[in-house]
Amino acid sequence: MTRQESEAASHRQPLVSLLDVNLSLGGIEILRNIKLDLFPGEFVCVIGPSGCGKTTLLRLIAGLFRAGDGRIIYRGKELTGPQHDISVVFQDYGKALLPWRTAAGNIALALEANGTPRADRPGIIAGLLEKTGLAAHSDKYPGQMSGGMQQRLQIARCLAQDPQLLLMDEPFGALDAMTRQGLQDELLAILASTGATAFFVTHDLEEAIYLGDRVIGLLPHPGRVAEVFDVPLPRPRHQLETREDPEFLRLRRELARFITLAEA
Amino acid sequence: MTDRALADVRPFVLPVALVTIAEIATRVSGMESYTLAPPSRIAAALFQAGSDGTLVSATLQTLASVITGFAIGAVVGVSLGLVLGLQRPLDLLSELPVEVVRAMPSIALLPVWMVIYGLGYKMEIAVIAFTTVWPNMVMTRAAVRGVTPRLLEVSRVLGLSYLQRIWKIVLPAALPGIFVALRLTLGFSLIIGITIEIIGNPQGLGSALMLAREGMDPGTMLALIVWIGLIGLALNAITATIQHRLFGHIAGYGARS
Amino acid sequence: MSKARVGWYLASLLFGVALILVWKAIVDARLISPVFVPSPEATLRSLVDGLLEGEAAELFRATLMRMIYGWLLASIVGVGLGALVGNSPTARAYLGPTLEALRPLPASAIIPVAIAFFGLSDRMVLAVVAFGALWPMLLSTMHGFQRVEPRLFEVARIYHMSRLEFAWKIALPSALPEILAGARLSLTASLAMAVAGEMLVGVDGVGQWMLNAGRSYRSAEIFAGLALLATIGVGTSILLGAAERKLLRWRQLQR
Repeated sequence: MTRQESEAASHRQPLVSLLDVNLSLGGIEILRNIKLDLFPGEFVCVIGPSGCGKTTLLRLIAGLFRAGDGRIIYRGKELTGPQHDISVVFQDYGKALLPWRTAAGNIALALEANGTPRADRPGIIAGLLEKTGLAAHSDKYPGQMSGGMQQRLQIARCLAQDPQLLLMDEPFGALDAMTRQGLQDELLAILASTGATAFFVTHDLEEAIYLGDRVIGLLPHPGRVAEVFDVPLPRPRHQLETREDPEFLRLRRELARFITLAEA
Repeated sequence: MTDRALADVRPFVLPVALVTIAEIATRVSGMESYTLAPPSRIAAALFQAGSDGTLVSATLQTLASVITGFAIGAVVGVSLGLVLGLQRPLDLLSELPVEVVRAMPSIALLPVWMVIYGLGYKMEIAVIAFTTVWPNMVMTRAAVRGVTPRLLEVSRVLGLSYLQRIWKIVLPAALPGIFVALRLTLGFSLIIGITIEIIGNPQGLGSALMLAREGMDPGTMLALIVWIGLIGLALNAITATIQHRLFGHIAGYGARS
Repeated sequence: MSKARVGWYLASLLFGVALILVWKAIVDARLISPVFVPSPEATLRSLVDGLLEGEAAELFRATLMRMIYGWLLASIVGVGLGALVGNSPTARAYLGPTLEALRPLPASAIIPVAIAFFGLSDRMVLAVVAFGALWPMLLSTMHGFQRVEPRLFEVARIYHMSRLEFAWKIALPSALPEILAGARLSLTASLAMAVAGEMLVGVDGVGQWMLNAGRSYRSAEIFAGLALLATIGVGTSILLGAAERKLLRWRQLQR
């Protein structure tokens, strides 16, 4: 049974609802009539050509922007700003980490913000480093780590917030293909164990299908939800087998067609 | 539209406010006479000194010494810097001696040159020259060594001779950095020159400044301070424009600061 | 430090010694009159005599203390003010241009004003030292706080950091490299202004010692004074380097 079917069956409440959200910046309409629901435990990917507003949409849900019109409901209440349990993984990890703190120190930042008692912190940090495969690098500075490691560190820091919703803005875009695939699987494993919801913006169509339960296609000028693709592929996913599944290939053709038409 | 206008005005709010407060405060408190003067009197004094020729001659005296000293320090410093930048062994050898010499403050050379030249413009030029050699040298060396290895690889692949490499690649690449060094040391030269004149060299603006103080003429004294500040600003602006003209338009030809 | 590094340091030391020998040769051969430039031995003798029997040690201490007090004062004010202004775009817009405009003003130009307020005294020299040291600290702190990575602002918002938390945990460490660079400049300015003030006012210090020696054509004492000042300069440079290495470890470890 796919996620979609199980949701329909249980009438679950969405974690996040966007209702008729509009956003204009500097006189330009960026997003129009966005209607979107994110359900708990879902992995939702967002694709679209440049300028379709997918990053803006992510930042909106993160509470970094205020919607012009329309409402965003998070856990039953109106979203007015950044929330402790919504975390954001940025693409430019080098700029989002604190270069003067070690890996452990960077994770600690989230715990300090949360007000986690000091005594509990080392344990949590060790656990998260373990989870993201960075246990051996706890005393290294970001400047000493590779791109993949830095991005894992950012994810670890985000997990320290114990998030319900993980927003990711092309997190693997700056990494090479092999590192990217490794991180994709690690991400899926982590989310499987925490049960958090994921909202994942990407340029990479295959990545969107590989990771997602649903793929949302946005069109630009102004940004709007054009199509929603269901991804009825079984979990857990495997780099080789899943990508050769005929359903995967079909979806890939559909998404490719969508993008080609969108960019025309 | 109003946002732009507001942004243009904001830098001036503080100075205008300060000047106004100063004007009122000094007139009202009666603190003037010997120590301070209201801005209006300062402006008048500035105008006075300008029109009766004293300002001009003092300025010329100072600038003559400053620019001569700067020029000598620049030529020697940049040349040494080029040599050190290109010859690594010499660079490494001279590291400690240079550190020691650099650590001496410029003013400390005043007695040394006073013994040789007495008081006057020669002494001032000598101190300025001797002091500015080091920052010029160090920064030029850094600029030369900062030429990206990629360019040097290109020069090897193209088969350029040693001299060609220096002339066609290293020097042009190092030029922006050298220019920044020269801008810095020009400002520095002005500071040293004025300081020497304040301490005791009987020429130029610094000396005029002290004379005004001794003559209990705070209006002229403060006017000269303002004037010196303006000269500093002007030198900075002129060199910045030149820098922009020479290096600004070529993309990636880093005109820093 | 690697073996090669140590090797080159030693070689450089030997090179320095060689230069001193060249200096000696030039003076011995009377190429330059010893009235203008003393021999190395004469300088050393003057230095030792001054320290052991004369007041050179006291004067050294006086100059050093003046420099440090002035610098500390300036640093506290400079970093504090610089942080406040640098952290706030509004303050930057109103105050920044004025502060920047005052950068090329020679600190020594303030001497007459300082004399007007404090007379020809020790306090006047201290005031001038502080003024000279203030500007580099203030401006570099301001720039450091200005240049905080914009992405980190957003990270701070997500973590609901207060203004103070942000300044302490993110802006200050981020600005530290620039603040330390400013500290270097301001220490240099402190020493220079201390010496300049001493020369002008005649209060106890190495500057005054050197100027008097100059007036009496005692060149060995002048050079001895230079050696003392160089010691202060090199000493502070080493201390600052050590501080940089400790505080900015993360930078030096970068790939």
